[in-house]
Amino acid sequence: MLKGLFARGRAALDASALFGRAAAEVGALPPATTDPVTEALRTERLGLILGKRAEWADLPNYEQAFATAVRAVDERFAFVPEGTVSLALTTYDEPGQPEVDCETEPFLLARHTVTNEEFQRFVDSRAYEQPELWPEEVWPHLIDFKDISGAHGPRYWSQGRHDRRLARHPVVGICYYEAAAYAQWAGFRLPSEAQWQMAASWRIRSAAHTYRRYPWGDGMEFDRCNIWLSGHGQTLPVDACPRGAAPNGALQLVGNVWEWTHSDFHAADREGRMVFGNSVMKSIRGGAFDTYFAWQATAAFRTGLESLARVHNVGFRCAMKLLAH
Amino acid sequence: MATELLEAAALTCLICDTPNRTGASICESCSAPLSLVLAATDREPRIVSVIGDSNVGKTVFLGFLLDMLAQRANNFEAIPKGAYSLDLPQTVISHMAYRMFPPKTPMESHHWNWAYYQVTKRSKHPKWVDLVMPDMAGEAIAAELASPSTFRVIERLIHRSAGLLLLVDAALAGNGSTQPDFFALKMLSYIDAMFSSKRRQKIDMPIAVVLTKADYFPEAFDNPERFIGANLSRFAHMCASRCNNLAFFASSVVGALGYATSENEDTATPIPLHTSLRGVMEPFEWMVAQL
Repeated sequence: MLKGLFARGRAALDASALFGRAAAEVGALPPATTDPVTEALRTERLGLILGKRAEWADLPNYEQAFATAVRAVDERFAFVPEGTVSLALTTYDEPGQPEVDCETEPFLLARHTVTNEEFQRFVDSRAYEQPELWPEEVWPHLIDFKDISGAHGPRYWSQGRHDRRLARHPVVGICYYEAAAYAQWAGFRLPSEAQWQMAASWRIRSAAHTYRRYPWGDGMEFDRCNIWLSGHGQTLPVDACPRGAAPNGALQLVGNVWEWTHSDFHAADREGRMVFGNSVMKSIRGGAFDTYFAWQATAAFRTGLESLARVHNVGFRCAMKLLAH
Repeated sequence: MATELLEAAALTCLICDTPNRTGASICESCSAPLSLVLAATDREPRIVSVIGDSNVGKTVFLGFLLDMLAQRANNFEAIPKGAYSLDLPQTVISHMAYRMFPPKTPMESHHWNWAYYQVTKRSKHPKWVDLVMPDMAGEAIAAELASPSTFRVIERLIHRSAGLLLLVDAALAGNGSTQPDFFALKMLSYIDAMFSSKRRQKIDMPIAVVLTKADYFPEAFDNPERFIGANLSRFAHMCASRCNNLAFFASSVVGALGYATSENEDTATPIPLHTSLRGVMEPFEWMVAQL
């Protein structure tokens, strides 16, 4: 069956996704195969297919899988041009506060955050039991990465399954390491906070060289995003609020869920003292459905969270380098 | 005749019923603001007291609750009666927006912030409730528990209350401190002594037990009652034996906490890095339904 799917190109991938979704709803994905290309396609590890070109090029089904993955990435990722971002160095946001300018290279950023049904494939592939996906310092904590029933999975799942009603909502209840492991498993990575800010502020190199306060412009509009004042009170599906998209089509960079980045969080307070957490803090960006202050859900607002925290309002999206021709 | 007129003009304190001389701004007996009396025109106000230990988060909780009500959260409509009712939310919001905690509530009751709101849940037949909610100092509550009638205003407030929001620090309790358990136990014992004179007579007043800082222990959100049973067992047993109308909630306001410190300092200043509200409206909603 999967060989037939390859022949039908993009339609095949969609069918595969649909099949995977339907299978997930009844509790299981199609059976795993021993062919790495087929397996990667079955689990939609698109970045892995693209990244293994040198290694898998001789496999008979690779070129078609590669073409399928390219089309899927083209559909699901948005191009972020090169530019400059100014990262605040302090926890207070006032004019004249110290900033550092960062240049960002062009890259691809997922149009939406990873959903529960997408993360389900990661859980179903027993990724929590694959040590190569996890840094050694986090191995002792792997036993804590459980759902409410004690099975491996995000904090708010049960029996290793997501709530089917939330299949298209962003996965939450995952710590930084789970987000990073998923990205690695799928062949992607997490964006740095400078990259994330570039995508949200759209400060491309141009004659104006200005940045946007929000992905859609400079004024807060509650119906373009999901923050506390929007009144939804919970996460929305990842394709909701299309009017809040960035110019490249990336959705919900502001609101719905905070997003893990791979950058450590460093900042100083008003007196110049460094701000620490109880453990290593990672930068999270964008605000969430329960973010009370609109100014904390902007393209430039910086905050952090302890890297092992598995909370209800933080998800993530993947990034990748531009494909070489 | 002149004396009668003077008495008629005198303001009787809403909290302790003491008549005060004309022109006084705070009650000479309990220091409650007499402006509360002037605001109480339509119906008798119901007092909801937010009580708890020092540093449990009463000021932040109450400040955000009032601000959320002003923004019609959960279909509530709230009208502040008097500009003084906005002092507390303004203080809390202006600090938290700049990633600072508000200053500690002073011990002296004449420095406390009071809020008088007319509140209703929007519906076909809205029922308005007048609520008086003071922001009491935790140290003052502790002093009153240690030596009853030391702080007459607290004694009278709790006695006059139609409901209590009892805040308990989930972060401390979950980390093994017995302080939240003993404080909550003392508080309940104090209330029990005030309202139920016989062993078989339980406390009828609605009490919402709110676990604050619950973001540290997500299981507190999953099942607050179980969390209290596991981490505040003394208090949980007394709740079961002495309270008729009790509900358990979990809440959090700060999305992430950082600590600012330098090499020369022994202490670290907590910094609320961002604000994520959870479980603030629910206990209030329950309380209003009980009144």
